[in-house]
Amino acid sequence: MSGHQKSFWTKYIFSTDHKMIAKQFLWLGMFFLFFGGALAMLIRWQLGYPEQPVPLIGNWMWPGDGGIINPDIYNQMFTMHGTIMIFWAITPLLIGAFGNFIIPLQIGAGDMAFPKLNLFSFWTMFLASLILLSSYLLPTGTAAGGWTSYPPLSSPAGGIPGLGQTIWTVALIFMGVSSMMGAINYITTVVRMRAPGMDYFKMPLSVWGLFLTSILNAVFVPVIAAGLVMLLLDQTIGTEFFLAGRLASGDPGDPLLFQHVFWIFGHPEVYILILPVWGIISDLLSVFSRKPAFGYRVTAIAMCTVTALSTLVWGHHMYTTGMSPLLGKSFMFLTLLISIPSAMFFLNWLGTMWKGSIHFTSPMLFSIGVIWVFGLGGLTGLYNATITADIYLHDTMFVVGHFHYTLAASVMFGSFAAIYFWFPRMFGRKLDSRLGKIHFWGTFISINFVFFNMMVLGYAGHHRRIYNPSEYSFLEPLTGLNEWISIFSFLLGVFQVVFLINMVWSMFKKERSPQNPWKATTLEWTMDYPIPHGNFEETPLVHNGPHEYSRPDIKDRDWLGQNERITV
Amino acid sequence: MKNYQSKNINSIPYFFSGFWYKDPPKDVSLDGYRIDNVIHYTDLVIGIYFGIVVAALAYFIFKYRASLGHKAEYDHGNSRKNVMFTGGLGLLVFFSVDAVIEKMAFKDLKEAFWNFPKTENVIRIEVMPQQFAWNFCYAGPDNEFGTDDDIIPSQNQMHIPVNTPVVVQIASWDVIHSFYLPNFRIKQDATPGMITALWFQATETGVFDIACAELCGNSHYKMKGFLTVESEEDFQSWLSENTPEESQDDWDDWGDEDEEDTGVPEDWGWAWKEIK
Repeated sequence: MSGHQKSFWTKYIFSTDHKMIAKQFLWLGMFFLFFGGALAMLIRWQLGYPEQPVPLIGNWMWPGDGGIINPDIYNQMFTMHGTIMIFWAITPLLIGAFGNFIIPLQIGAGDMAFPKLNLFSFWTMFLASLILLSSYLLPTGTAAGGWTSYPPLSSPAGGIPGLGQTIWTVALIFMGVSSMMGAINYITTVVRMRAPGMDYFKMPLSVWGLFLTSILNAVFVPVIAAGLVMLLLDQTIGTEFFLAGRLASGDPGDPLLFQHVFWIFGHPEVYILILPVWGIISDLLSVFSRKPAFGYRVTAIAMCTVTALSTLVWGHHMYTTGMSPLLGKSFMFLTLLISIPSAMFFLNWLGTMWKGSIHFTSPMLFSIGVIWVFGLGGLTGLYNATITADIYLHDTMFVVGHFHYTLAASVMFGSFAAIYFWFPRMFGRKLDSRLGKIHFWGTFISINFVFFNMMVLGYAGHHRRIYNPSEYSFLEPLTGLNEWISIFSFLLGVFQVVFLINMVWSMFKKERSPQNPWKATTLEWTMDYPIPHGNFEETPLVHNGPHEYSRPDIKDRDWLGQNERITV
Repeated sequence: MKNYQSKNINSIPYFFSGFWYKDPPKDVSLDGYRIDNVIHYTDLVIGIYFGIVVAALAYFIFKYRASLGHKAEYDHGNSRKNVMFTGGLGLLVFFSVDAVIEKMAFKDLKEAFWNFPKTENVIRIEVMPQQFAWNFCYAGPDNEFGTDDDIIPSQNQMHIPVNTPVVVQIASWDVIHSFYLPNFRIKQDATPGMITALWFQATETGVFDIACAELCGNSHYKMKGFLTVESEEDFQSWLSENTPEESQDDWDDWGDEDEEDTGVPEDWGWAWKEIK
C-alpha cells in the first residue's frame, strides 16, 4: 500500500490518504472562512454606515446602485454568510480537516476505515461548493431566505425571485451527503481501528469530541437532508409540504413542520460544531499545563451527556411560534439541564490549569481564549432558554451575539488552537509564535467587542436581519454602537490576514520543526515528518492514557508517550 | 438611484455616547417589568459566576506560569473528592441559576403572559401581516369578527386605549412574520395557516414602533407599524372615524380572477378563536 510511486493526481488531488484529504478540507475551509468573513464585513458596513457607498470596492461591485449595498443584496449576504460559515468553513475546518487528520493518527490506525469513501466525501463537498458558488452567477443572485431558510419565504410562493434559493437547497443536500459519508467513516474508524490497548477511556479527548460529533452527524444530517428534499420538491415540482393558508392550493401543509425538522437537526448541529473544540481544548490545556487533564472520565462522560441532551432541546428555537405551554416548559427544563454537564467539564478545564506549569504558546493562548468566549457564550444561552426573556430577545441581535460567541468565537478559537498545534505535523514547520501572539490578542479584543456589543444591541431591542436600523426611532440611540461594532469587526478581519500570512510564510520557511515540538504524549507525534502513507511502520501498542505529564516516577523528562512502557 | 435610498440620520451625536449605550426601549406595559427582572437576575448571577471563572483563570495564569520554574503536580483529578466537587458545583449552578430562572419564568407565564384576561373589558384585535405591512381589524359594534361592520383602519395603524387589556390574534397573509412590540417586551410569530395570540396592557399613552422580527423578504426592515396608545375617549372617537360606511364589498366580490390580485381583501377577518 504505502511507499509506491504516485502521480501528481493520485497524490495531491484524488488522494485516499487521510492526511492529504485533511489538507484539502483545510484549504477549502480556509477559503470559505475568508469568503464568509468578507461577507460579514460588508454586512457590518451596511449596519454601521447604512446606505453609504462601500469604500474601495463598492463602485466596482454594484455600479448600478452607486456602490451601495441594496436590500436584496444585503439579504443575500447574510444568508450566504451564515450558510458558508457554518457548513463550508467550520465544518470542513474542524470536522473535515482535523477530524481526518487527528482520528487515525491519535488512535494508532493506518488510515480511515474507508479511504475511498473519504475521497468521495471531499469531492462531494467540493461539488457542493461549486454548486453553491454558481448561484452568484445568476442575475437574480443567491439565496436570500436566511441560513434557516424558512418556508414559505424560501419557496417560490414566498417571493424570493430566481433560482438562488433552489441552488442553495441542492448545494446543502450535497454537503449533507458529504457529511454523512465522513461521519460513517469516522465512527467506523474509532470503533474498529483503535490500536491494541487504546481503550475508549484511553482515547485523547479530541477523539472523543470528534467521535460524538460524528454520531450526531450520522443521526441528524439525514433528518435535515429529508427536510431539504421536501423543500426542494416544494420549490421545483409544486408540492406543498410547507405551504399553508392562502398559499396552499389543496390540503395545507405546515410551515412549522420545516422549523421542527430544521431545529431537530439544527440544535445538535450547534454541538456538532462545538464538541470537537471541547475535546481539543481539554487536550491542549493538559499539554501546555504539563499536567494530566483534570477529571478525564468526567469530561468524557459529561460530553456524552451533553450530546444526548442536545437532541431533546430543539423547541427552544421556537418559543415564539405559539407552541403549547407544556411543550415550551419541557423544552426549557431540558435545555437548562445542559448546564450541569457543561459546568462540570468547564470546571475540569480550570482544574487542569490548577497547580500546572503553564506555557503560553499560541495554541495555549487560543485554548485559554476558548474558556473565556465559551464561558460567555454558554452563560448567555440562559436568556434564550428562558421562555419569558426569549419572548423579548428572540430574533434580536442578542441571539446573534450569543450564537457568535459559541459558534464563531469559540469554534474559531478552537480551530486556531488546533491549527497552531498540529501545523508542525501537517507541514513540518511551526507557525511563528510572535505573529501568533499578535493574532491572538488582536482577535481576542476585537471579537469580544463585536459579539458582546451585539448582545447589548439586542438587549436594547435591535431586531436581526434588518437592512437599515435607522428606519426605527427606538433604534436611533444605537447608531453609534453599530458603528463601533463595525469598526472592530474590520479590525477583526485585519488580524485574520496576519494569520493567513503566518500560515503561508511558515509553510515555506526553511526551519523545520522538531518531531515532537510540544512534548506531547499522543501517538501522532511518534513518527518523523513527513508522515508516510499508512502512518505507523508497525502498529503501536498503547500502554498509557493520553495525558501522562509530570509523572513523579520519571526523572529526565516530564511526559510519557501513550505507546511507551515505563522503565524505572 | 433607487427609491430605497432613504434618510441617513446623522450619527455623530451617538458616535461616542453609543459606546456605552445599553438601555432597552422604555417599558410602557403592565408586565414588561417581569421580563426585565428575569433578564436582570440572569445578568447578576452569570456575572458572578463568570467573574469567579475569570478570577480563577487570572490567578492560575499568574500563579502557575511555567516561567517560575516549578513542576506541575501529577494529579488526574479522578478522585472521588474531585468528582463530588465538580458534580456539586454543577448542581449548585443549576439550583442557584437555572432553577431560579425557571421558577421566575413559569410564574410570569402563569400570572401574565399565558394568563389571557377573562374580563369583559378587553379590546380584541386581529392582526394580519403581509409583505410588507401590518393590517389590523377591530370587531365593530356587533362585537363579532368577520362581519360587515368590522373596522379596518388604514395599514400600519394600531390604536389601543391605555390601561385596558388588549388581546391580539395573529395570522399571516403570506410568509412568516413576527409581531414585535419592543416597548412592551413581547413578540409573537405570524404563521400562515395558524392563528396565534398574545395579550398585553399599556400603562402610558404615546406612539410606539411595531416591528417585524422574522425575516420576510427584501423590505423586511421597512415593515414598520405604529401603535398609538391613547385615552379611552380618544380611542372610541378614532374607532368611530374608521367605522365603515353602510355597504362594503363582500368576500365573494373579491373573488374575480380577471386581474391577479393577491392583495389583502378590504374586509378580511376571521371568526374569533376562543382561547382556553
